Amino acid sequence: MVLVDIRETKSVKASDIFLQIRPGKDFEVITILRALVKEQPVDESQVQETGLTLEQLQDFVDRMKKAKFGVFFFGMGLSMTRGKHMNSAALLTLAAELNAFTKFVAMPMRGHGNVTGADVIMRWQTGYPFAIQFGRGYPRYNPGEFSTVDLLVRGDVDAALILGADPGATMPQPAIDHLARIPTICLDPKVTHTSRLSRVHITTAATGISAPGTGYRMDEVPLPLRPALKSPYPTDEQVVRRIHEAVLKKPDWLQQGNRMALNQV
Amino acid sequence: MLRITGGKVYDPLHGIDGQIRDICIHDGKVVDSVDGGRTIDASGMVVFPGGVDVHTHVAGGSINFARAMTPEDHRRTVAFIRSQTTRSGLGGMAPTTFATGYLYAGMGWTTVNEAAVPILSAKHTHEELRDVPIVDKSCCVLMANNEILLDLLEQGEMERARHLVAWQIWAAKAYGVKAVNPGGVAAWKWGNDAKQMAETVPGYTSLTPAKIVTGLAQIIDELGLPHPIHLHCNNLGAPGNISTTLETMKSLDGRRAHMAHLQYHSYGGDDWSTMRSEAPAMAEYFNQQKNLTCDAGAVLFGDTVTITADGPWQHLLYKLTGRKWGNLDVENETGCGIVPYTYRPSNLVNAVQWAVGLELLLLIDDPWRIFLTTDHPNGACFWRYPEIIQLLMCRDFRQECVTQLSEKARERVHLPDIDREYSRFEIAIITSAGPAKALGMPNKGHLGAGADADVVVYDEDEDIARMFGHPRYVIKGGEIVIEEGDIRATPEGREFLVQPSFDREIEDFLRPLFEETYTMSFENYPVEMHRIERPEISECIDVST
Ligand SMILES: [Zn+2]
Repeated sequence: MVLVDIRETKSVKASDIFLQIRPGKDFEVITILRALVKEQPVDESQVQETGLTLEQLQDFVDRMKKAKFGVFFFGMGLSMTRGKHMNSAALLTLAAELNAFTKFVAMPMRGHGNVTGADVIMRWQTGYPFAIQFGRGYPRYNPGEFSTVDLLVRGDVDAALILGADPGATMPQPAIDHLARIPTICLDPKVTHTSRLSRVHITTAATGISAPGTGYRMDEVPLPLRPALKSPYPTDEQVVRRIHEAVLKKPDWLQQGNRMALNQV
Repeated sequence: MLRITGGKVYDPLHGIDGQIRDICIHDGKVVDSVDGGRTIDASGMVVFPGGVDVHTHVAGGSINFARAMTPEDHRRTVAFIRSQTTRSGLGGMAPTTFATGYLYAGMGWTTVNEAAVPILSAKHTHEELRDVPIVDKSCCVLMANNEILLDLLEQGEMERARHLVAWQIWAAKAYGVKAVNPGGVAAWKWGNDAKQMAETVPGYTSLTPAKIVTGLAQIIDELGLPHPIHLHCNNLGAPGNISTTLETMKSLDGRRAHMAHLQYHSYGGDDWSTMRSEAPAMAEYFNQQKNLTCDAGAVLFGDTVTITADGPWQHLLYKLTGRKWGNLDVENETGCGIVPYTYRPSNLVNAVQWAVGLELLLLIDDPWRIFLTTDHPNGACFWRYPEIIQLLMCRDFRQECVTQLSEKARERVHLPDIDREYSRFEIAIITSAGPAKALGMPNKGHLGAGADADVVVYDEDEDIARMFGHPRYVIKGGEIVIEEGDIRATPEGREFLVQPSFDREIEDFLRPLFEETYTMSFENYPVEMHRIERPEISECIDVST
């Protein structure tokens, strides 16, 4: 196992080789690796900037090519730092190109909870994984514009329904402040940062412990969740269904007949 | 209750070829007569049984991966706006689930067979199928690269293999069995492929693709599945692959099989520059093999995204196009690759592919044995079927399209010499009656008493693509779902399953193997019945040869 990071983490012990690179140099390292895979010349001064030596990088490339089956696991250190999605794209390209020599794949490490499940279902229902805007009656996608955090920071949100997450603990202060300002409803088995700032907190049964459901694994394989305990509280699903039924009783504001937008704007 | 009166009816199963007939519907079924209820005056209109898609990819891990890979296409495609009857969604190369139901029904198709489901992620596929409204559904489980099964086939343990196959079908809550590039996908996990029918699959000592194909076909016949082995041959897409395909058909030795997307398996030539159509040779052989059915897997020019469990082929396509490439390996079972692709008339290979699909449809003489598909989204998106119907029904239009091809391409194909034009009766066979029969669904694809009341009413129109693209009425299970271009109702579809019998002892064999090699517990592996929306278990049949 080769570990690439900007600092020594607990994973170093488990790895055979640790490559410590300079912060913000992920894209450069990956691009040099791509060049070396294709046996292209690389500029010594650019290698130096990464904090690694040419020997280290060449050795890494040789190992990858010799592997029978290689996997890149990557996480937010790559996708949320300088270069963001460009870093991920470069790594995916490197994995694709390595397949000219051996079997290689790349797989993102996901956050807590059922992030993958949410991502998978949003994709089949709307085509997009997150940052989806239904304001025009059909799904639109633009991370940075329609992501939850951006909408909250800009104060574009009038009300919030939060389940399976605790943004009050992780989001930047302006976003948290806005959540506290607007009617926020939180579904959670326990008291969280978000539940404390919510106008309404509905206690629900914990999925997988006292409520059934499906969790999607990091590789998108679904696993059934079987409750071991009984809960006096309703499940998230039951609560959302009841809210939905109540909303349906309101006068319908939706158009009659169907419309299609032939040209999205 | 509903009566459709005065229309020209095309019901090939009952030999009705445009005669004026009344269709009466009660309780979701076609009946001999009804008293009262609504009447649709279909005078001057054309009445078909609802379309049946024998091979498409609309739900599950691979198409959902394709959706993730193509946000730029979602932006430029048609969008469904939320209304009182419909959910929002997007059309395009890989439509979202709700939109998939609306698009199929909007075109008059009422039954679809999702052709490739890994057992490991079958729960995902069924969850997506639940979200495809209106149409009835079935699916085929992927098997020819399942390592536990391959080991049994290599050891010649046919009896145990049969119990395993039956157990796996029920575990996946599937309707049929799909074999993709037998042995090749398993080999791909080690960066290899299996190209020759008689060559040992990498990683095995005596197992060949031919042995996998015949073993599985045999087992499926013994189990009496209503749909025979659904076969995606080895060597897909490669120049000269007709020899592999013919060899596969010969190895079947009279056993039943459905050959998926035959277009991709009917090429001559030695390399990309000499690739040519071998559709006439394929059709000539196929015409004699009454045990076989096939679907066209036709190609249309334009943008699409290709997805298949054929991992090695997708890697090759990625190398050829230099575009995006996604690859999924599904543990010990199968895998899949995803590559966005544009078919161009100016491209020699694409031109040959386009011609081969149409040539097979025109040269295979029995419409009951070749069906209209594009292997959606691989050859083209399913919502382009009306364009293919036009190409089949109108020789002049076809010849006009041929002129788009380069002179070099025209020398490699046979389309310019083919004069056949499909009749409406034949179109009703290849889009409905034929695929329903091949799937073994006795209540689909016809309008006789007892049939599911899935009916399409078209306005007669000189513009064939417009006529078949915009039915006036679509009735699904007796309910009017499309009327005057509007989606009126979005009932849930049913899902067809089979439950072949197996010995429970197979679980004792499977459990230890499973716990050793899989990453989930054995109890979590099968799809639970409650996940299936409106399941309908079809009877197994007696297949004696
Ligand atoms: Zn297919």
